[in-house]
Amino acid sequence: MSKWRYLGKRLLMSIPVLWLGTSMTWFIIFQGPIDPAANVLSNTQTQNTERYEAAREQLGLNRPPLEHYLDWMANLFTLDLGQTWLLYPGSNVNALVMDFLPRTVWLGFWSVLIAVFVGIPLGFYAGLRSNTLADYLASVSGIVWRAMPNFWLAVILLSLLVSSETLLGFDWDTFLIDLPSGVTGNPQLSYMAGRPWALLTQPGETLAATKKILPAALVLGSASMGNEMRIGRTAVLETRSQKYIDLAKAKGVSDRALVWKHILRNALVPLVPIITSEAFLLIGGSVLVESVFGIQGMGFLFFKAAIQGDLPLVGTLMFVFIVLMLVINIAQDILYTIIDPRVGYEEA
Amino acid sequence: MAAPDDGADGDEPLLAVEDLTTVFHTDKETIRAVDGVSFEVSEGETVGVVGESGSGKSVTARSILGLIESPGTIESGSIRFRGEELTGGNWERHRGDLSIVFQDPINSMNPVYTVGNQIREALRIHQGLRGQAAREEAVRLLEAVGIPDARRRVGEYPHQFSGGMRQRAVIAMALACDPDLLVCDEPTTALDVTIQAQILELLDDLQREEDLAILFITHDMGVIEETADRVNVMYAGEVVESAPVETLFDGPAHPYTRGLLASIPGRTATGDRLPTIEGEVPTPTESASDCRYAPRCPDAFDACERVHPEHVRVGPDQTAACLLHEEVRPRPDGRGDRGRRRRRRGRRG
Repeated sequence: MSKWRYLGKRLLMSIPVLWLGTSMTWFIIFQGPIDPAANVLSNTQTQNTERYEAAREQLGLNRPPLEHYLDWMANLFTLDLGQTWLLYPGSNVNALVMDFLPRTVWLGFWSVLIAVFVGIPLGFYAGLRSNTLADYLASVSGIVWRAMPNFWLAVILLSLLVSSETLLGFDWDTFLIDLPSGVTGNPQLSYMAGRPWALLTQPGETLAATKKILPAALVLGSASMGNEMRIGRTAVLETRSQKYIDLAKAKGVSDRALVWKHILRNALVPLVPIITSEAFLLIGGSVLVESVFGIQGMGFLFFKAAIQGDLPLVGTLMFVFIVLMLVINIAQDILYTIIDPRVGYEEA
Repeated sequence: MAAPDDGADGDEPLLAVEDLTTVFHTDKETIRAVDGVSFEVSEGETVGVVGESGSGKSVTARSILGLIESPGTIESGSIRFRGEELTGGNWERHRGDLSIVFQDPINSMNPVYTVGNQIREALRIHQGLRGQAAREEAVRLLEAVGIPDARRRVGEYPHQFSGGMRQRAVIAMALACDPDLLVCDEPTTALDVTIQAQILELLDDLQREEDLAILFITHDMGVIEETADRVNVMYAGEVVESAPVETLFDGPAHPYTRGLLASIPGRTATGDRLPTIEGEVPTPTESASDCRYAPRCPDAFDACERVHPEHVRVGPDQTAACLLHEEVRPRPDGRGDRGRRRRRRGRRG
């Protein structure tokens, strides 16, 4: 009961966050020091008063700020993201996002998955065998993964895979699954357009898209993997020394049940915020990795829009990022309520 | 270390701890937390272990339950349960026959599972109960330890219980293992006084109903006086005096016991300053060659610094490890000879 109340409360709380974040974005973009209208026009066009006024009108900048603000907010909240002016001129931003977002989600999904399914088991393993050789190896590798910067690792991995035939003795492009398009480029996700169940019904395409994204996902998830390994190890060590573990042992609980039932679930609790806060980092980090691997995702789009000064597009993408973060936050709260029964109890 | 072959005869007590030595290895030194402790617990009996913080009481309890983990190890001695040796990894066969209740009820239950789940887990392992039968038995156990509205509370999480209720639930969990011996490691220390009295009463009732033997560990002489049949006084990893509770309170033989008794509030005349024992319990790192209490002992004399006192019989059923009760024969090398040490055979009169 109190759990649902807790979740409902968190959902309600995300509304003011969304409003505040979006409002701040509007203020910075449209009331900030840079004139968005001037930026969407080339230098020569700016001299042309007529063209300039037309651009201002298109962006709604000639209207009173309050009216423009309300209009802009209403459009975003009804998911009408408007048009771009500079980057892919004249195209609909909704279509653009629908085109670019799946690639980023696919990349983020796999990097979180790699981090979670490699980092956490490795950390738990190290924690359960603390101060053995296996523990030291796992811990050191965790630190190494964490220490390697994204952009560096991306370049190294890319050059390794591109010349895999000479360096590693097998050709990555044809290894297990044939990838005619090579290491870089977009994963083919169009087969899932409008039919998300194709993820499972067309395993061939799924595997190809997965192989395509895997190097980038490994790079993006590497730091999180090391991080989760370290936190997982500490969490297991901490849980292991709890009195209730001793008591369960005295109760005659088998070693296997002790680990799987009593230790692991408790050790997951401190990992939840780590995993979700890293999901935030992935959004920022994807700019670098997407650039190196030539994946046209949201990070890439945002980066280009910002560099070329397409401020209206930057604003709209900001809104998309804010929504993404809120979704991750709510996912975190749901995970919490599933794993830890104490959540939401204090407020009840 | 090896178990003697007399395990089958009826004379064997429920639990016999003999010359137990548990050490913890650190980078710098080896801490002898429990150093040659011997005592016995008979069926249905309550044996108290009392001493200051750091005297090795809890390590004794954990050793008996087989809960010593690296960097600690049981270096020598034997722990026999119904004549069967437990040291050397034989605990698994007797899991549940010995149960434990810890000091801190907040951390004694896994926070992510319901109280009922954790009781049923023990019921499944030790009594083979599953499903509805296990659920009913869990409710019955919670009722037996005095938890009101047990049918509803069995589905609640530990954090929804108050401290006293949680300790009751922990006791219910211990009972679900159907134990013969319940080790209580300061079970009431974290509770306030009224709850403490209730828990002690509950343990007393359960002992009578289920014919439990209890090893009661505490630093509180007042609690010992109420609960125990027989008392072992521990100091710096050693038992320094062992006696039935009345004998101990009427005629303490060891100066340390006298100091402990004198520092119970209310036993000295009102208005007087409460006597205390100056100083702290030392942390032993080597086997004893002197009396570890000597630096704090008001009755110490020069031999106390050279001779490790052995247990000597000071009454019909009372032993103390103090040179005051021994014909002191200073040995040329000034060391107590551990090999020659006579085993104390504590018997209930």
